[in-house]
This record gives sequence, C-alpha cells and structure tokens, in this order.
Amino acid sequence: MDLVKKTKMTASSVALFWVALGILVCYGATRLGLGSVTEPGSGFIFFWSGLILVILSLMVLVESLRSSEEIVQETGKMNWVKIALVLLSIVLYAVFVERLGFVLTTFFLLSFLLGWIEGTNWARSLGVASAAALGSFAIFELWLKIRLPKGIFGF
Amino acid sequence: MLESLTSLAYGFNIALQPQNLLYCFIGVTMGTLVGVLPGIGPTATIALLLPATFKLNPISAIIMLSGICYGAMYGGSTTSILLNIPGEASSVVTCLDGYQMARKGRAGPALGISAFGSFIAGTFSIVGLVIFAPTLADFALKFGPPEYFALMVMGLSVVAYLARKSMAKALMMAVVGIVLGCVGLDPITATPRFTFGILDLADGIGIAPVVMGLFGIAEVLENLGVLTKAEIFAGKIKGLFPDREDWRRSIGPIARGSLLGFFLGLLPGVGAIVPQFLSYALEKKLSRHPERFGSGEIEGVASPEACNNAAVGGTFIPLLSLGIPSNAMTAILLGALMIYGLTPGPLLIKNSPDLFWGVIASMYIGNIMLLILNLPLIPMWVSVLKIPYSYLSSFIILFCLIGAYSLNNSTSDIYIAVIFSLVGLLMKKFAFEPAPLVLAFVLGPLLETALRRSLILSDGSFLIFLQRPISAAFILFSVVVLVAPLFSKLRLGRGLSEED
Repeated sequence: MDLVKKTKMTASSVALFWVALGILVCYGATRLGLGSVTEPGSGFIFFWSGLILVILSLMVLVESLRSSEEIVQETGKMNWVKIALVLLSIVLYAVFVERLGFVLTTFFLLSFLLGWIEGTNWARSLGVASAAALGSFAIFELWLKIRLPKGIFGF
Repeated sequence: MLESLTSLAYGFNIALQPQNLLYCFIGVTMGTLVGVLPGIGPTATIALLLPATFKLNPISAIIMLSGICYGAMYGGSTTSILLNIPGEASSVVTCLDGYQMARKGRAGPALGISAFGSFIAGTFSIVGLVIFAPTLADFALKFGPPEYFALMVMGLSVVAYLARKSMAKALMMAVVGIVLGCVGLDPITATPRFTFGILDLADGIGIAPVVMGLFGIAEVLENLGVLTKAEIFAGKIKGLFPDREDWRRSIGPIARGSLLGFFLGLLPGVGAIVPQFLSYALEKKLSRHPERFGSGEIEGVASPEACNNAAVGGTFIPLLSLGIPSNAMTAILLGALMIYGLTPGPLLIKNSPDLFWGVIASMYIGNIMLLILNLPLIPMWVSVLKIPYSYLSSFIILFCLIGAYSLNNSTSDIYIAVIFSLVGLLMKKFAFEPAPLVLAFVLGPLLETALRRSLILSDGSFLIFLQRPISAAFILFSVVVLVAPLFSKLRLGRGLSEED
C-alpha cells in the first residue's frame, strides 16, 4: 500500500473514532435528560457538544479522503515499547504508592526509568534514584508541607 | 488614573513585605529554571507547586505563581539563543536569529537585548494592567450570563482560528474539552454526569492531572530515546550589554513587540505563543533587509522577546478583571484563585484590592529581580542544561506524578495523568493541538452555566445573545473568525506555520 493511501486510511480511522465518540456522548446525554430550551437539563450541553463533534469529525473525514497529500507527521518515530513500559511503570507506581509509601515506590520507579528505560549504568541509577527519592520527600513533604503517601513504613 | 496610582502605591506596600519579596524571588527563579529546561513549562510547574501554596496566604501564593509565568519567558530565551532549543513554547521564534547571533560570537548581546527587551515590555504591560484592568472590570459589571457565554465562545473561536494545523481539528478539541470539563455533578441538579459510577469523578476531572499528562509526561514519552545530548554553545559569553548600534536597531522592534504582545494578550484565547510569531513576521515585513532575518538579526530577537513578555501581562487582564483565562497557564491560576476562596471576576479588584494591586506591584519587582539576576546567572542556567536528558526526563515524570497526586491526595489523579499522557501523545501523532482542549476544559463548566442561565433568563430564546449589544458584538466577532477562512485561503495560524 502506498504511503498516501496508508495515511489517508489512518486519518479516516481517527476521524471515524471521533464520530463514534460524538455519537456516544449524544446517546449518554439523552439518557441524562436534555430538558427543554426554557429549562436545559443535565445532558443539554453534552448533547450539543456531541453533535458538533460528529459534524466536525465528518468534515475532517471528508477532508482526509479528498486530500491527496501525505500527512506530515510532526512527531519523529516513537518507541512504542518503551512508551508502554513507562506508562505501565507509572500505573504500578499508582497501585503501590499508598501501600509502600512515597520514598520506596519513587526509588523503584526512578531506578527503572533511569536503569532500564534510559540505559544509565545501574550503580549510578540506583544512587540517583535513592538521592532523588529522599531529596524530593524532604523538599515536598518536609519543607513545602505537601502531603505525600506514607505507606506501611511511614515514609 | 490618580486612584489607580494610589492603589498601585498600596500594592507596592504589600509586595515589598519581606515574605512577599521572598515568594516573588522563588517564583521568578523557578520560572527561569523551568523556562530554561525543555520538557517542563510554566503551566506544569504552577500545577505542581499549587498544593505547596495552600498553607500560604493567597497574596504570597499568587505572587509566586505569577512569577513563574513571566520568569519562564526570560528563561526560555536563554536556551533558544545558546542551544537552538526553545526551553518554552513562547520562545520558539527567538531560536531563528538568537542562535545565529550566538554562532557569530554575539551570544552576549542577544541574551542582553532579550533580557532588556523583556524588562521594557514587562514594564509596559504592567502599566497597561494598571490602566486597563480596573476599567475593564468596571465595564464587565454590566456583563450578565449571555455576555459571559458570548465572550467564552469568542475565546474558543480565536483559539481555533489561531490553530496552526486544521481549524476543524482545533474546534473538535475545543468541543472535547467542553465535554471533559463538564464531567461530574450537574452544577444545578447535582446529577452525576459521565462519571461511570467512579466516585472520584463526581467532582469532575482535575486540571492538574490533565495538564501534567498532556504537557509534561506526553512530552517525555515523545522524546524517549530520541533526544540526544544538546550541543551547548561552547564559546565564552561576553558583552552582555548591547552597544549603541544594537540599541538603535532594537528600540523600535521592542516598542512594537510590546504593543502587539500586550494587546493580543488581552484577547481571550490568544496567549503568549502566537503574538511572538506575529511580531517576528511584522519586523521582517518592516525591515529594509528581510532576507537577513534568520541569519542573526538583533531585531529578530528583540521584538519576539519583548512581545512574549508583554503578552503575559496582557493575559492577566481577562483573568483578573473578567475571571476568564486566556491559556492553560492562566487557567491554572484561575483554579488557584478559586481554591484560595476568591471569586475571579469583575468584583475581584473591588473585593480583594490587596491581592490585585499587590500582585501587579510584585510583577514589577519581579521584572527588576529578573533583570538583575538573570544576566549574571546565565552561566548557572547553562550548567543546568548539562544535566543529561535521561535524568531530566525521569525527574519531570516524578514531578508530574507528585503534582497530579498532591492536589487531592488521590491516586485516581495519577491514572488520569497516565490516560491524558497517552491522549496527548496520540494527539501529537495525529496533528491535534492540545491548547484548545485545555482552554475549553477550563471554560466548559463556566460556559455551560452561562448558557443555561441565559436560556432560563430568555425563556428559551437563543436570540438573547443577539439582542444584547455586547454579547451580539462578541458573537459577531466569533462568526467572522470562524467563517472568514472559508472565503480566504490565508488563515493566520497556517500562515504562521509557513513562517516557521
């Protein structure tokens, strides 16, 4: 498949996704109740927003089908495996931070990000991670009085 | 006018208190730091530091947060000139001639003129704030829900018009922003809307995790394994004070940049990024040697740098006098004002004069601090850039997580930040701009309330927006902005994109 066709297909799929989302918003809005123009209901703004989203997405869809130009991507080639790993590590951070506490979880997260994702040597990664975890705890919790999760160890 | 000057003197009284001076200093220093560092901007920093300000008095807090806003404009130029990397989105244009000046051994005058230009523009915009904000606030007392609704529609239309890619896509993002902003309890009936039974969504989606995800984490994810070590200008920086010839060439561009930035910044939806492109284009048009632009012309540094600073002052006017943010940065400040129990809007100046005048006076003091501190500290800022990006990116993620979590002490906000970082990444990949989404996200609930109140007032007639002169003018302007591109191939945003 040539590049123009491929980018056209991608752009159309993205536009169709927004059309579907717009329809879902409209459907959800009708379930909330649209009210009347004299007394708009909870779903009023959502319904009209959803409808405008559908119309605009259809315009973008038509635009993408008509265009014969290749879509210029602003982003470079992305490393999706690394991106998925970073996002997964953040999700795990959210799962454990209130159980294990800020310092320990932050240490694990930073060690992983520096050592595994960024490929810094492990000794240095562990050193920087522990210093950053303790340092940020001192700055945010002790100095700025921002409440950070303590976990079972109390820090 | 005399009344304003008396009030400003009162503001200096407040801003010069030792505690406020300290927070002003912290704010401008933090602002410069995040301005220097690529990957984390003033918006994410304000969101990050917001929880730290809860225990402060609101005046000190807003003084510090404002300092971050304009401090970042100073810091952004340093990396643009020395590295050809804009530390901040509103310093993109400075790269064009600033870096070329540095390569020709004129990094000193480039940094100097950008600091002096920023200072002059900052001073000008503060004078503008003193004159315009109270006048506009008095005028805005006449605003009812229809005028507010029309004004917000105008802001969103302007954002879409200024989109540098597809205008339809920008409008789509604005609509998505409204939908996301309205998630949570119905402000009138308290019915849960699109919360999917998740208790944490009842209060709505927080601005902090959205900003952290869209601007902070998404930026890091995009650059994973891509950004190599930046090449830092190795030459010795000398002669920070521009000579007589530099001044002669720069004074006009600084004046024009200040005027343009300030007045464009006044318009809701414009922010500080677009005016600097326009100021650069204007200087190029006015120049006798436009072909030299891009090869190290001092005018190409002086004007955009003055412009982005003046625009920041301009964006404070709709925020403080109308309660309407112009961009993501002022949207977070609006959130901060509400958290401190203040009601942003036309009555803010009358009800909290100490806050309003104190903050304005502190902006002037902050600008002086930046001028005095910034130039001698440039070597220190450059050394900050020597920290490997692998470390910086990990720290940015950590700061974003702390910022997302600490506002509500809720891990749900971390999940929201993760979702929005992925959304932000996909938006970049498929050429959707995040700015209209964030602005509409903040304006969404205000827009909805204004619309529903207007319809209740008019007994269901949409004509109310056209029957009242002020709202009719705003609506007319919005229509012109939205329809004009259909008849003209040239659209400002797209033109700017070509100007790059």
